[in-house]
Amino acid sequence: MSKIIDLKGSILSLTVLKLYDDRFEVTRDALEQKVAQAPDFFVGIPVVLEPQVALADATFLALLVEFLHQKRMIPIGVRTEDEQIKEQAEYAGLAIFPNTPDKPARPEKPRAASSEDEAGLKSALMIAGSVRSGQQVYAKDRDVVVMGSVNPGAEVVADGHVHVMGTVMGKVFAGSSGETGARIFANRLNPELVCIAGMYQLAEDIDDQFKNGFMEVRLENDKLVFNPDCLN
Amino acid sequence: MSRVIVVTSGKGGVGKTTTSASLAAGLAKKGYKVAVIDFDVGLRNLDLIMGCERRVVYDFVNVVQGEANLKQALIRDKRVDNLYILAASQTRDKDALTEEGVGKVIDDLKADGFDFIVCDSPAGIEKGAQLALYYADEAIVVTNPEVSSVRDSDRILGILQAKSRRAESGDAPISEHLVLTRYNPERVDSGDMLAVDDVVDLLKVPLLGVVPESQQVLNASNAGEPVILDEESDAAQAYMDVVDRFLGEEKEHRFLTAEKKGLFSKFFGK
Repeated sequence: MSKIIDLKGSILSLTVLKLYDDRFEVTRDALEQKVAQAPDFFVGIPVVLEPQVALADATFLALLVEFLHQKRMIPIGVRTEDEQIKEQAEYAGLAIFPNTPDKPARPEKPRAASSEDEAGLKSALMIAGSVRSGQQVYAKDRDVVVMGSVNPGAEVVADGHVHVMGTVMGKVFAGSSGETGARIFANRLNPELVCIAGMYQLAEDIDDQFKNGFMEVRLENDKLVFNPDCLN
Repeated sequence: MSRVIVVTSGKGGVGKTTTSASLAAGLAKKGYKVAVIDFDVGLRNLDLIMGCERRVVYDFVNVVQGEANLKQALIRDKRVDNLYILAASQTRDKDALTEEGVGKVIDDLKADGFDFIVCDSPAGIEKGAQLALYYADEAIVVTNPEVSSVRDSDRILGILQAKSRRAESGDAPISEHLVLTRYNPERVDSGDMLAVDDVVDLLKVPLLGVVPESQQVLNASNAGEPVILDEESDAAQAYMDVVDRFLGEEKEHRFLTAEKKGLFSKFFGK
């Protein structure tokens, strides 16, 4: 049977109209001027309103929606956290978008952030000891060498190869930007997860015979291959 | 030269406060001037273990917020000379502490001639725990031989390396020590508990001592006495070893193997 509908989340790019003034007439005049500069450009574009000030006038949004329709724009929603504006938006038939911050801050910085300087030799990122639970290490555009172990709950991510002199008990990602030739080497591999260029395997999917002794993991035909004999 | 020691673990209920109390009392018995601070604002326990809960007039929060001075808040221990307790507040929460306020208290204690300042950290990795470890020179990580405790200790060790003042200013890192508590060799033999080597292997922190699981710890807590003062008990001897090793003495580790029960004790239970 063919599909009738399909409801899916998707990320679209929308025009956001930021409002810095709570007086409708002033806002209208400013918009009028803007539209006059390029009348065709604005025809039919969906617009999300983002008031930067409290809107004391309860009819503000309704009037603005009406005006935008006149100018043949299509207001679809409001981005706000303000309860009063949310109420106005409901009356005006606008969707409400939560005002999420642009980028959520990472809870904890990686202990050894990869150095950003582009010049010079991009040698491997060296981690002196073990990577502990909760720590993240990211080696951008290069390999990472961990002199100790990767403990449970720790994450080591590299765009290149990952070398671990101790035991991997946490998560390791090699080729994290898509480099399919990246490999993982570990003195012992008993990980929570291994991943190369997006192909991953969880602990329970890894055969126990691969959990002792030196191990290489590489990608062959989109499959992770565990190779204990890479040194021979 | 005063040293600030944080006793921490990540996980709760592993024996931080017991260890703080015994370490502080043990160091004081050696003749050092010691202050022990309860950072667990809102859930204060140290005063109970130290048996001074009825003598708390002003607490740590009062001092941090300038409502009392340090002399008024420090409680002198009645059993051991040179041992002082700074109790936490039970009625406030961890937001009552500030980095500057804690720093000032620690500086004042240093200026007062305290040799060791023991900071008893709350459980968790949030603000209270981070403030307790921020000014530390040494860290004692208390762990039980059990996977979740070891995992949490691993996490707190990472935070010690990243979020202390020493880490932020690029000084020599905090020196880390491990104390394994509630160790039960019989249960290790039967496979119910992690062995000491497994824990040290994972955490890679020098072992300061192993404290056996013992009824005396509970008895001492209930009696309001640091267990180290109950000199006959295994736990007290283990803590004395911890203190000696902390001060740089080389001592062989004890209480690691199950006692073989003789025929006599087999017959008579114990």
